[in-house]
Amino acid sequence: MRLELRGITKRFPGVIANRDINLVVEPGEIHALLGENGAGKTTLMNVLFGLYKPDEGEILIDGKSVSFHDPGDAIAAGIGMVHQHFMLVPVFTVTENVMLGVESVRGPLGQQLDRPAARRRIIEISEAHNLRVDPDARVEDLPVGVRQRVEIIKTLYRRSDLLVLDEPTSVLTPQEDEELFEIMRSLKASGTSIVFITHKLNEAMGIADRITVLRAGRVIGTTTPEEASLEKLAEMMVGRRVSLVVEKKPAKPGATVLEVDDLVVRDDRGHVTVDGLDLQVRAGEIVAIAGVQGNGQTELVEAITGLRQPVGGTIRIQGKPVRHAPRAVLEAGVAHVPEDRLEDGCVPAFTIAENLVLNTYYRKPFANGPQLDRDAIEREATRLVQDFDIRTPSAFNPVSNLSGGNQQKVIVAREFSRPVHLLVAAQPTRGLDVGSIEYIHRRIVGKRDEGAAVLVVSTELDEVFALADRLAVMYQGKIVDVLDPAQATTQQVGLLMGGSRPVGIVEAEAAGGLTHVVTSGG
Amino acid sequence: MTTTAAPGGEGVSATTTSARPHHEGLAARRALRNARIRGAVFLAIGVYAFYLASSAFSTPASFLFRFFNTGQERFEIATSVGLLWLVSGLASALVGGLQLWRGAAFRWRPWLFVVIAPIVVAVFGALLDGTTANFTNVLRGSLELATPLTLGAMAGILSERSGMLNIALNGKMLVGACVSVIVGSVVLRFTGNVIVSTTIAIAAAMAVSGVLGLLLAWLGIRYKVDQIIAGTVINIGALGITNFLFLRVLGRNPEFNTPPTVAAMQLPILSDLPVVGPILFSLRPYVYIALVMMVVLTYFIYRTRWGLRLRASGEKPAAAGTVGINVIRIRYQALLLAGLICGLAGSYLPLATAGSFQMDMVAGKGFIALAAMIFGAWHPIGAFGAALVFGFADSAQALLSVLGVAVPPQLLNSVPYVITIVVVAGVVGRVRGPASAGQPYEQG
Ligand SMILES: Nc1ncnc2c1ncn2[C@@H]1O[C@H](COP(=O)(O)OP(=O)(O)OP(=O)(O)O)[C@@H](O)[C@H]1O
Ligand SMILES: [Mg+2]
Repeated sequence: MRLELRGITKRFPGVIANRDINLVVEPGEIHALLGENGAGKTTLMNVLFGLYKPDEGEILIDGKSVSFHDPGDAIAAGIGMVHQHFMLVPVFTVTENVMLGVESVRGPLGQQLDRPAARRRIIEISEAHNLRVDPDARVEDLPVGVRQRVEIIKTLYRRSDLLVLDEPTSVLTPQEDEELFEIMRSLKASGTSIVFITHKLNEAMGIADRITVLRAGRVIGTTTPEEASLEKLAEMMVGRRVSLVVEKKPAKPGATVLEVDDLVVRDDRGHVTVDGLDLQVRAGEIVAIAGVQGNGQTELVEAITGLRQPVGGTIRIQGKPVRHAPRAVLEAGVAHVPEDRLEDGCVPAFTIAENLVLNTYYRKPFANGPQLDRDAIEREATRLVQDFDIRTPSAFNPVSNLSGGNQQKVIVAREFSRPVHLLVAAQPTRGLDVGSIEYIHRRIVGKRDEGAAVLVVSTELDEVFALADRLAVMYQGKIVDVLDPAQATTQQVGLLMGGSRPVGIVEAEAAGGLTHVVTSGG
Repeated sequence: MTTTAAPGGEGVSATTTSARPHHEGLAARRALRNARIRGAVFLAIGVYAFYLASSAFSTPASFLFRFFNTGQERFEIATSVGLLWLVSGLASALVGGLQLWRGAAFRWRPWLFVVIAPIVVAVFGALLDGTTANFTNVLRGSLELATPLTLGAMAGILSERSGMLNIALNGKMLVGACVSVIVGSVVLRFTGNVIVSTTIAIAAAMAVSGVLGLLLAWLGIRYKVDQIIAGTVINIGALGITNFLFLRVLGRNPEFNTPPTVAAMQLPILSDLPVVGPILFSLRPYVYIALVMMVVLTYFIYRTRWGLRLRASGEKPAAAGTVGINVIRIRYQALLLAGLICGLAGSYLPLATAGSFQMDMVAGKGFIALAAMIFGAWHPIGAFGAALVFGFADSAQALLSVLGVAVPPQLLNSVPYVITIVVVAGVVGRVRGPASAGQPYEQG
């Protein structure tokens, strides 16, 4: 399918999200779309998918002008989209989610769901493109990486000729990224065009045929990986030179702030995911935990921040045991950037200002007794919106109207704006553009230099290496090794993340039947 | 390997090297402890029942069953209250024993019925206090009284599964009741035909309730009026209008308040079965309609395309919208259907039981239907089960008050709600309703 967008303009109250955008996607092409947070990438794709009506401009498919009233029209025209925030029904099974909207039916009334038929096709698709998934699993029980596979299967099930992937890799691990690229190549080979939105420039360089950069709703230019370089792309996106490495002085660790001892935590399904874990983080150092998603990082962070009751072991912050009481934990001087920003990080329907004081609203200066001090909140919000470069027409827009990356900035701004002893940041730069990543990394290092203990959990090896003073690798609920990032290699960490230990180290873990070996270290 | 004790007093076996299963032991021990506590509770109930039994063997408890619909043949199960308590005690002790024996692997929830059912009978027997109860009537009454609740719960399930809270069941039933009486009376006068007038009366009730359902949907979807408030407005409006009609029209012109009535129906062959014939197969057609509807709805919600889309709209409308499903249309459809069912439920009250319209004759049944919906975990069959519990309590209470038993009826009436609270709070565990019920959906 050849897609052409001509002069697309989309306005929201106070923002012009897309201005006169022209874009051509050739058949069988992988077209990367880059741009800062809030540049208008998602909006443009939503226009294409019939979720928004453009104020101006037209969409041409194979030279013919089309207009979509709803996603149903776009799907019928062969467009498939994997949304930045997954569009899956949590309580449905994989099969139900995939068939939803294009159900196979049978029976005399032509109404009865034909689950076995759908199931068979899902298995076919998943085998053809190596998208491993259990068709009968409930989506709410699946890790994000697998949910994404479900989303891709959903589009393939609808026989899309053009696939839009909106930041698919921001939730994936390095291995999963590689798997996704394999899938994309295989789709491309079968003639599917792909629009690939990402913030990771090297991914765009690696897989795209052509790259288009948006800034502030406009097309800045289209280039190819051959002509471009990382630095040039970064500059096109942000409009200034960006430093791609974090500068930091050597750490000066002080007293131990966080002490985790033989911690055992279970997930919602009752499986033990943190399994006798020990960890110390000292004031003035950054400990980064690397690990493949689903090895207990989520539950570890939830336990430390008082969101989840551990089954065994102890957690102490500055010597005091942590209780299952999030407010007590945050009052003890802990900041938390949660992994799932919409679910745990903010109240999407509240305004930016309200979200920015979500953990301090009940205290001075934001409250006078039971009453909120609107002026104080407004002043603080305006300051943080400025400081953290949150792109919004005002601090009184609901967070749900922000672009994904700007939602993340709201949370980071809130958590970084008060004095803390311990900062726990899970995937702090998920979905952020290079400029913002640079900024947030500098703030994290700044927190460390102020004397806070910092625990970063990330599936991005780049990020882990950039930030860590000590690098812990988590596998199957345990810290399998703590390394010095200056000495370690990505290769070595990749292997540990996959559960294998470099030769020469005690075989205790290997006895547990760990066979998966990571081949590339990112 | 070392063993330490955590502050909670649970032994935590910790290892410095590597022992994979140490946490598994911990989790299992916790489950085992819970199992033991549960077992002990069941045993304690059993012991208490034995204690109650010991002093009640001399109090007779007789339950009378009619053999057939016609004739006087009946048989009586004459026992003593003590015996009933003894059975209850044995049942509890048995389940408690099983629980202790099988430990954490024991699936205790289904066995709860074995514990509760004899206790209910024993309590009933104790309340009878020596008089004889016609159990055929109690059971018939349970089914009949459960019917409007079941229908109401079906309406609630349809709405909430689509993502719309439907607090207005009560008002829609009330309007349905009133409309069916007026239309039924008029048509009966002109045609003299009971069947025709009943049919038209019910159809009219359904139509008007259906329109109210659409009104609720329109307010909630088009204007995003809070769905609880919109429902409350409809409830209050329904009460006002029907009161007005009763005082100004029906009360002064009794010819508008003499609707046809729906009699019990003897199902061929089945109704001649001994004992069960009179209980199950000689009821009003409404009961069978409700049962059929329960089956049909279960099929539609869980097995069909429309049901899948309905549930998706109630769980995550954005996901439904992005695969091209018209969430708004589904919500209108669901509320229309719910309204139609409410009309049917409303018509039951005057046409099947009272024989005329009275002020506020629904008396909160719409809200009880909502309770049945929640108790039944938003599933038609579960909701029917819950409605039966409520129906039984109602029916038993009616009998006890006829027999002049010295229990305040209010106390007995409250039993089903206490059960609901207990069940919803604890026993059922995490019952989850549709995730997006009550939240307006915005289409791009
Ligand atoms: N529904 C909406 N209502 C109002 N403003 C909106 C809405 N959706 C997006 N915007 C605004 O439009 C602009 C573009 O947002 P968009 O989500 O397209 O950015 P993006 O390029 O996808 O960014 P990110 O990389 O952070 O996901 C932002 O300023 C955002 O605040
Ligand atoms: Mg986006």
